[in-house]
Amino acid sequence: MTTTVHDRRRGALARAESRHALGFVSPALAGLALFTIVPVVLSIVMAFFDWPTFGDRKFVGFDNYIKLFTGSPDFWPALRNTAVFTVLYVPLSVILSLLLALSLHSRIRGRAVLRILFFIPVVTPMVANVLVWKMMLQPQGLFNGLSTSWFGVELPNFLADPQWAMMMVVIMSVWQGLGYNMLIFSAALEQLPESVLEAAKIDGARGLRMLWSVTLPLASPSIFFASIMTMISSLQVFAQPQLLTGGGPGNATQPLVQFIYNQGFKFQDMGLAAAAAWILFAIIIILTALQFGVQKKWVHYEH
Amino acid sequence: MKKKLAGAVAVAATAALLLTGCGAGNEAKASSNSVVIDMWAGSADDTAALNAQLKIAKEANPGLDISLRSAPWGDYFTKMTTNMASGNMACISGMNSGMLSSYTAGFDELTPADLKTAGLSESDFAPGSLDILKNKGKLYGVPFDIATMLVYYNADLLKKAGAPTPKDGWSFDDFENTAKAATKNGKFGFAMGMGDFQWQALPIAKSGTQPAKADGTLDLTNPAFADAASWYASLVTEKKVAAPVASASDTGWGETQYSGGNAAMAVDGTWNAVSYLKNDAGFTAGMAALPTGAKGSLGLILGSGFGIAKGCANKEAALKVLGSLLGKKAQDYIASSGRSYPARVESQPLYFESIDAKYRAQVKSVFTDAFKQVEGQHVSDNWSKVGTYIQPNLVSVYNGQDSMSKVLQSAQQQFGK
Repeated sequence: MTTTVHDRRRGALARAESRHALGFVSPALAGLALFTIVPVVLSIVMAFFDWPTFGDRKFVGFDNYIKLFTGSPDFWPALRNTAVFTVLYVPLSVILSLLLALSLHSRIRGRAVLRILFFIPVVTPMVANVLVWKMMLQPQGLFNGLSTSWFGVELPNFLADPQWAMMMVVIMSVWQGLGYNMLIFSAALEQLPESVLEAAKIDGARGLRMLWSVTLPLASPSIFFASIMTMISSLQVFAQPQLLTGGGPGNATQPLVQFIYNQGFKFQDMGLAAAAAWILFAIIIILTALQFGVQKKWVHYEH
Repeated sequence: MKKKLAGAVAVAATAALLLTGCGAGNEAKASSNSVVIDMWAGSADDTAALNAQLKIAKEANPGLDISLRSAPWGDYFTKMTTNMASGNMACISGMNSGMLSSYTAGFDELTPADLKTAGLSESDFAPGSLDILKNKGKLYGVPFDIATMLVYYNADLLKKAGAPTPKDGWSFDDFENTAKAATKNGKFGFAMGMGDFQWQALPIAKSGTQPAKADGTLDLTNPAFADAASWYASLVTEKKVAAPVASASDTGWGETQYSGGNAAMAVDGTWNAVSYLKNDAGFTAGMAALPTGAKGSLGLILGSGFGIAKGCANKEAALKVLGSLLGKKAQDYIASSGRSYPARVESQPLYFESIDAKYRAQVKSVFTDAFKQVEGQHVSDNWSKVGTYIQPNLVSVYNGQDSMSKVLQSAQQQFGK
């Protein structure tokens, strides 16, 4: 008898408490619902509709997806461009920033200044970065000017040549993103366990052997993190090609996100844009899952 | 647990209600005697000018509660897209001739009776100007300004190179001669256009045809236009009187090359006449109407205006406001401030008076000449897609990796159905 009364009272208390808790979390919950859940659900729905921004919406089933893969002249090139960008950008960015972090790890003079210098492009607005690169790369720009006056060699019109344009987008992006990964690696290298390093040294590990068999495995969790984040951001690349090459010449540098942007906001075909966005989402999820799958083989968490 | 879920659902539902409530609130407001005007404004100057026009409209319609919304040019059309989708378009919305084809669904067709209610008459406006906001023969708005394309030149560069100065009534041969003569000392005679209007102006003038027909069918492969377009591309690829474009993201290439003093001539709209005359680089700018070919010198009449949104709750009041926004007083204001060349004929002289005395005669004669042979722009329904497709490909054409006729052909194949 007493226990039931006790239980009921506690139950009432818990209920009151959870009501209060709900009251406190409701602003956050409403925000989440409004700005995340609703748009996500809406975009799933949109992808199955012929959804012009104005006018009648029509359910079309998988037509948007079929149209993307069979009917749209720009979709495959966009997919290819995103793939090319990612394949070139991720290894370059990770390797270069790791090398940078390693070389700035030893106690050289002015390394703090150098770190700041390499980090500046990350905090500079992309528009400003691109403007500077454009001024260097265009035919009347710095590079061609130097090359013609020193060597008498006319350089290609980098941003207007289908092959060079993508290279330049990659190089500019690597330069821009280098500082961020460098910072992650620098932090990881500073935190390496002294005892392990010392033990390795006593065992006679030096130079490359030390780097390959001790330092890198110890830093592998950060390398894993950086490569996943870099891959995701490179699959979502938009600003660099949009500003540097405008996706051109032709569609030679138009990535998937620019394709989505054009479909949705220039051509007002929200259904097609939503379908393409979900394809991008699927690609990102699959690639990320694959990376998590193979991490057991090379990422070491034991310190 | 169940209760928690129910609570979450309740919160979400309340949020949704609040959201829809907001939307409903706006509509309810629109059904009273209030009229909302939506217009683009990119600077403090633009906003001040809009407010001056708003004041004129308020004075003319004391019984109405008129308010103004504005956004910068690019955002304006993005916002319009969402406003159209959510049924939130302002009763009076600004529109531009180049953008109309994508937004006709949001506007009500204006009938002669509507114009009468607004107190406007077709004869008040410059010939051809009511074509500006027409699509496939239907009138969607009345323009407040008119514009067409001109050739701007850098008089200092031409003089230095000893090249002949463009004159009214000049021919395409004259144009080529000037461009050739001015290409020296590391400067170019001409700068290629990347924008639709900027690159199409010379081919249209030379061929006397537009790349689309009046009924909205795409006509990019029309031999006359395609030939003229190929001639245009040859200015950079064969005649080398213009610099190859550096990137597809340089959408204002020709204009920046010209205003930076790297090219002696470029094509741009009358809307930039004043800013070119007062250019920052400090060169003496001049202007001429487009050159004349075998078929005259066909120009497009372009411009911006106001239309009435479809589903506007109090159309009659909106029409009255439209009438005062395009009435003599508001048009006189636009003209005398020198902001743009007004569509209303009686206000046009005030525009020339606003221009510096030393340029006035030239501007007046060139404008008069340029508006002699103009027609409204014909566009297809998917015109913005066509433009978006062609623009990055122009870079390949100007750099000699692709031919103009091939690009036009593939655009016609893709979008001409």
